[in-house]
Amino acid sequence: MAEDQAAIQSLGTQDRSIADEVQKSVRERKPLTLRRVIGNEYFLYVVSSIAFLLVWHHVAASGVFRGALSTPWQVVERFEGLMTDTLAGLTIWGHIWASTQRIFIGFVLASAIAIPLGLFMALNPYVDAIVKPVFDIFKPMPPIAWVSIAILWFGIGEPSKIFIIVIGTFVPCLLNSYNGIRLIEPELYDVVKVLGGNRWNEIIQVSFPASFPAIFAGLQISLSMAWTCVLAAELVASRSGLGFIIVQGMKLSDTSLVIGGMVIIAIVAGLSSVLIMGLEKLLCPWKREIAGL
Amino acid sequence: MKPKIECRNISKAFIQKGTQRVHVLQDISLEVRDNEFLVILGPGQSGKSTLLRIIAGLETPSEGSVQLDGREITGPGPDRGLVFQSYMLFAWRTVMGNVEMGPKLQGVPKAERRKTAQRYIDLVGLNGFENHYPHQLSGGMKQRVGIARAYTNGPQVMLLDEPFGQLDAQTRYFMEKETVRIWETDKRTVVFVTNNIDEAIYLGDRIVTLKGKLPGRMDAVYDVHLPRPREHTEMKFLELRQQITDASELVL
Repeated sequence: MAEDQAAIQSLGTQDRSIADEVQKSVRERKPLTLRRVIGNEYFLYVVSSIAFLLVWHHVAASGVFRGALSTPWQVVERFEGLMTDTLAGLTIWGHIWASTQRIFIGFVLASAIAIPLGLFMALNPYVDAIVKPVFDIFKPMPPIAWVSIAILWFGIGEPSKIFIIVIGTFVPCLLNSYNGIRLIEPELYDVVKVLGGNRWNEIIQVSFPASFPAIFAGLQISLSMAWTCVLAAELVASRSGLGFIIVQGMKLSDTSLVIGGMVIIAIVAGLSSVLIMGLEKLLCPWKREIAGL
Repeated sequence: MKPKIECRNISKAFIQKGTQRVHVLQDISLEVRDNEFLVILGPGQSGKSTLLRIIAGLETPSEGSVQLDGREITGPGPDRGLVFQSYMLFAWRTVMGNVEMGPKLQGVPKAERRKTAQRYIDLVGLNGFENHYPHQLSGGMKQRVGIARAYTNGPQVMLLDEPFGQLDAQTRYFMEKETVRIWETDKRTVVFVTNNIDEAIYLGDRIVTLKGKLPGRMDAVYDVHLPRPREHTEMKFLELRQQITDASELVL
């Protein structure tokens, strides 16, 4: 009996300690040793980056590609010049802005139509039945296939480029918002029902917030799609933008210009992706963060 | 005294794959008294969750009827609160956001619903966790949120569907203790579904056992005349346990 009491006592303290179940990571201080520096992931990031640049430099300098590969330093120098000098009337900043602007307009336009449409399709079987057959025809079509028709329709100005971006980003935006709602645990709607809510409450309180992460996943895919599309459009016909820089470099056999254009696209596209990620963090503070991503 | 809930000859069949009829419940008749803690005990695949969902109004019986205070149940409503086995918390809302959801849907002003919500958050022992998101909580704490959410809506009847099925044995034992404490503080009519015989005897005023496999049928009703707080090691507890085990198909 006394033992029982003791057991319950100890269990009782555990009961109170549930309040401590929230997990917090603890960082321990360890002495700085060579082993730890070499094992440090940031140290390894720097090492691998420098190694990559060194290999690039040596391959370029050895002349294997007969001048068709410039060294990293040549690329940097070429673009340093472009910060003040102009190419087709624009500095490098002007070209970056030209592409970014197209992406932004096309991206906003596409998501403003595709996300609500995807949500409607998932929520209403009639909308689904009407839109789906048409959408299924366009779904597998690579957006680049639209480049020629876009130029025929809209000429070589801005509208044709924006059109292609809209086409390219539309599909992932719609699919993800659609699936975001379709994959919601149906019992979550039961919660709203039991609490006395109606269909409208279910949509506002469950469907929309629960589909947020999927919508953002769609935006990420759309964004990389948008960069592919803007590049394709600018490669074909353009007087500005990062795609234009690359084509120009090819025409002039200016390798530094081509490679630099590629690097800048990677940087700008990467930054825009980080921006979307930041927006998601802001709007979905409840999302569990996955380590290492 | 008139029963709080009365189930009369309930049968339920689901249509699967277009034509196949699956009988889940057959001829269930039971009464739940006012402020009673009734436990429905049955093995897996005995239709006990379906029975609870019928009382909640989320499913309609194929035959028979369920009445609450003499009125036929036709759909879900705030007079009955449901606690789910898999918690079903809104991941995008904090503990407070989850708990205040019921009154919020009824259009109760913010200050007032916050006050009620806070009372039940305190009651279930989550004081200080109001601004945590569900993924920051342990299983036991999540279900505390589920219980507080159901309570805050002010239901006359609490329906709990294997609420501690996902918890480890020790946490489960504490949550059972907590359930009794909460129920004794704020009495309601409770219908508690479980497949765990110890949990049933520990909690219930009465235990209704169901026979599996599908379709689930009524087996027996046991009155539990044990003083609270109960002890799993009490002689009478063990005797009743033996009696139910011998009579039912529950393999332990």
